[in-house]
Parts: sequence; C-alpha cells; structure tokens
Amino acid sequence: MEDDSRFTEFVAERANALMRYGYALSGNPHDAADLTQEALIRLHRAWARVRSKEDPERYAKVTMARLHISRWRLRRREHLSWAVPEVPLHDTLPSDGDKDLWHALAGLPRKQRAVLVLRFYEQLSDAEIADLLKISQGTVRSHASLGLARLRSEMAARRASPAKARPTPAGHDRVTSPQTRTTSAERNVP
Amino acid sequence: MTKDLEDDLHRVIMRGAEGAPQAPAGFPAQIVSRSRRRRGRTHAVAAALAVVVVAGGVGWAVRGQGDNAPVVLDPVATPSASAATTRATAPRPIEQVWPQAVWKIPAKLPGIKKYQPRIFIDDHTVLLETWESFEKANAIYAYDLTTGGHRKIADIRTPKGVYASNYVAGQDRIVWQAIDDMRTTFWSVPIAGGEPAPIPTDAPVEGRADTTVVVGDRLAFSVMEGGVFTLPLTGGAVTPVAHAERHHILRWPWVGTPGDYTPENEPSFEEIRNVETGETSKALVRPGDQHVRCGVTTCVGMAADGKPFYRLRDGSHERELQQPAMTGVAFDRFLTVRTLDESVRRQLLLDLDTGKSGDLGLHLTPNGKSGRSVEPGISANNLVAYPLGDDYVIIDLTRIT
Repeated sequence: MEDDSRFTEFVAERANALMRYGYALSGNPHDAADLTQEALIRLHRAWARVRSKEDPERYAKVTMARLHISRWRLRRREHLSWAVPEVPLHDTLPSDGDKDLWHALAGLPRKQRAVLVLRFYEQLSDAEIADLLKISQGTVRSHASLGLARLRSEMAARRASPAKARPTPAGHDRVTSPQTRTTSAERNVP
Repeated sequence: MTKDLEDDLHRVIMRGAEGAPQAPAGFPAQIVSRSRRRRGRTHAVAAALAVVVVAGGVGWAVRGQGDNAPVVLDPVATPSASAATTRATAPRPIEQVWPQAVWKIPAKLPGIKKYQPRIFIDDHTVLLETWESFEKANAIYAYDLTTGGHRKIADIRTPKGVYASNYVAGQDRIVWQAIDDMRTTFWSVPIAGGEPAPIPTDAPVEGRADTTVVVGDRLAFSVMEGGVFTLPLTGGAVTPVAHAERHHILRWPWVGTPGDYTPENEPSFEEIRNVETGETSKALVRPGDQHVRCGVTTCVGMAADGKPFYRLRDGSHERELQQPAMTGVAFDRFLTVRTLDESVRRQLLLDLDTGKSGDLGLHLTPNGKSGRSVEPGISANNLVAYPLGDDYVIIDLTRIT
C-alpha cells in the first residue's frame, strides 16, 4: 500500500492517545490495547478512503467506542502481539476518593460508562454521542443520568462504609458460568 | 472528592486514562503486518486453532476444525501458526459433533415470553428464570428436555435492589441466594413446587456468596471476600471449612485462592486444596505470565512473549493456543474460539481433550451485526445456553465425552 508510510506516521503519533482513550472507555489495560489494535487494523484497511474523507483519529475512536459497546465484543479478545504492562492506579490517582470513583466507574454497564467517557473525557455533546454510538439523544441522556445516579449512590455507600470500597467484580471483564454471564456480577453492587 | 460529581468525573477519567499501557516499540509495523495477514486469510477457513511445541521439538497440533480430528502428535509441526493451517471445510455444527449434549428449545414458551436458562436440575431438566425487569428474577420454571414441557416451580420476590442469583439444585430442592447490604441469604423451594423460604442461619452470613454447591444434605458456599462455609440445607449453624479462610469454591471438593476475581491480574486459583482429602496444588506460574487462570488440573494464560498457552498446573504439556482463553477453561477442557475467516467469523466450542470443535452458530459478519458470544469460563456449571434465532441452544458439557 503506497500510503503505508503516512499510516505508520499516524500510528506512531497517535497510538498512545488512542490507548488512553481505550483505557478510559474500558478501565482495563488489556481491553484498551485490544481496542486500539483492532481499530488501527481496521483503519489501515480503510486508510485510503478515510484519509481522503475523514479524520483518521475520529474514525479510530468511533470504531473503538462501537466495538466496545457492541454485543459481540463482550467476550471477545484479540490475541495481542505484546504483553500489556499494568500501571498501578496510585500512580495516576493518588487520592482515595478518586480511586473510589475510578472503581465505581468500573461497576457501570458498558454503555453507561461509554456515554460518560464521551461526555467527560471527549467532551462531546449529547447529539455527537448519539451520532457516534448510533443511539437516540434520549437514550444518551438516559444512560448518562442512570450512570451518574449509580455513581452517586455507589460513592455515598463507599463513604458510608469503607468496606464497600473494595473493587467489585462488576468492572472486571470476566465471564464465568452462564448464570453469572451478562452483568449479573453487578447486582452485588449496592 | 468535591461535591460536584461531574467535575470529579472529568478529572478522574482524564487522570485515570494516563494509566493506559504504552504502545509497544514497532507498533505501527505490527499493525500493518496484522492487517495484511488478515486480508490474506480472507478466504481461508480458520487458521490452526492451536499449535504446540513441547521440549524435544515434537509438536501437538489441533488440526483444522472442519474434520474434527483429535489432537494429534505431529512430529513435523513447527512452532508457527501456519504449520497447522488446513483448508478444511466449514466446521460442523455442535449438534452434529455432540448430538448427545445439545438441544434447541423454543425461545418463547406458552405463557413465557422471555427466560434465561440457568442450571441443569437433573440430566434432562433445565431451570429457567424469568425477569420482571433487567436481571430481576420473578419466577423459576422447570423445562423438561425430553418432553418439551415446562412448569412453574415458584414465584420469586426480592426487595428493591436485591436480586436472586446463583441457583443450585440438590436434595429435591432449588437453592438460590439474595445479597442485601453485603450479607447473603439463601432461599430454597422444593423442585416439585411451593413457596420459597429463606434457609434459617444461626447468624447472618457476612459477605457476598460467589459460588454455591449442594454437598449431601449441606450447602457449601464461598464468599467473594474469601472463605468457604457449609450450612445444613434445612438451616442451622454456618460452619467455616478448615484451611479455607481465603478460598473460593472452584469445583467441589476443590477450593482455591485467589478466586475467579483477580483485580490485580493475579493468577486465579493458583493454590487449590481438596477439602475432603487435604491434597493441595500450587500452579507453576512463570515470570512474565499474564492473565493466568487455573482449573483443577490445567492453567491457561499468556506467556511473557504474549503467546497464549494451555498447560497442566505443574507447567508440563504446554501448548500454544491461537487465541487466549481470558476467562479460563471450563472443566479443564472447554473454551470457545473465533475462527479467523474474515467473511464469517464463527464461534466454535473447542474440546481441548479430544481436539473436537463444533460451530455454535454465532456468526459474525464484517458488517458487524451479530448475536452474542459465549464463554464457559472457569465455572463448574455444566450448562452453556445462548439464544439463537427463535431458539435457545442448551449444551450439557458433562455429556461431551
């Protein structure tokens, strides 16, 4: 592909920003790496078209958000070509309250978290989020308000009882038995 | 924390995202080469599911899934994924590969619009759960796979914010749990039907139960916080199981630590203990191993070089898997994999013991719209169920021999 040099330049420049975006979306370093890799592979395959008509970074980010919330991705992980190092949370979020909020975010259903990340990290409007996730603005508002309400109550519970500050399985992308599949782990989160 | 959650969120997500992994050296070139490889595979049915190399240069290869050949000793296999690639015909559906273990039942039943299959009550009866709202159970039913008939076992009522979950069957009863304020209450009802009642305990069960099994006339359970306990099914004293203070039930009588939930990426079930015999086992974890998830006899994970592996707990008989089994392997042998064919990515159930695989029918096309995917995980629940078209597919893993 004659355009590979421009593509590799783009990846070299923007891969870490996409990783951060993937990490904000998923809260999980392996998912972040997986989403970034998959979006970039798709971008490479669409590069000629994307470069002439669209912003490649936006294309990658839209791909990542849609992949992340799509049903088929719930339990799928690509074979990554490198081992993903973990960065300890206390390096980025030294305050306990901030760590708690990060853990509470992990307890949200994917769509609620995605909407909050697009609103507060990407600073998109509800209309832009609706367009990106292919859902109605009403649904965007409802995900945002449910997500915020859940975070408020989770944070209140954590403040009231430090024992609840333990991270819960809800944020861990695991699937066990058919009966604990889907989001059933979340029901243990008050 | 300030009072304004929205400001906090902006700050916490921005800062938290800084903890993202860095792209590795050579990442752009890796992406380009993966993209090209993927294009090259467009017309090939899945590349090899697994290839392995053991010391001495003798390889194990799972042959192309189409012929359902068993895992074979292949003296010429080399440690590359392409070595075992075969252009096989399309994989056979699971109901043809394991007819004794697979059923399809209507996704809508008379009087029931929507349900979730949860467990096998016995070898031909499935427990179905219906919901009043998302994940909030309001009734359980018994579905007979031999006659196709179903009947209600009981209505379930739980307070706001409390959910029935983790069903088990034994001693002619169905038992489930409800967690409220970090305490667990077990409920039970006769399989024949009746009014559910809580199982009385001498003191509240502190902690959130994660796994429950019926052992004789007792219930054994572990809590998410760690610890294994037993309780008479008819109620009474909750007794801690000795030497299992930090443990979780893996597959009774095996308990282990840490459990399935390992937020710091610890190897799950690294140490296990047979609570009946006292036998213990510590899994071999090599430096740099990631996402290690162990069962009673095997472990899966990703080696330091990023290659997914499957091996015995002592580290022997290691094989490379083409795709990682991130949630572990059910009964030490079952996992699901996606074929790599670009036009239709099929999800296959793979039996690592025999090398046989069957197409679950969950196809993913490039346009994206597809059903769900299924992963049995480490769980000891032998029921795998998923909706497919107008049916629910029901698989009994214990019938796959």
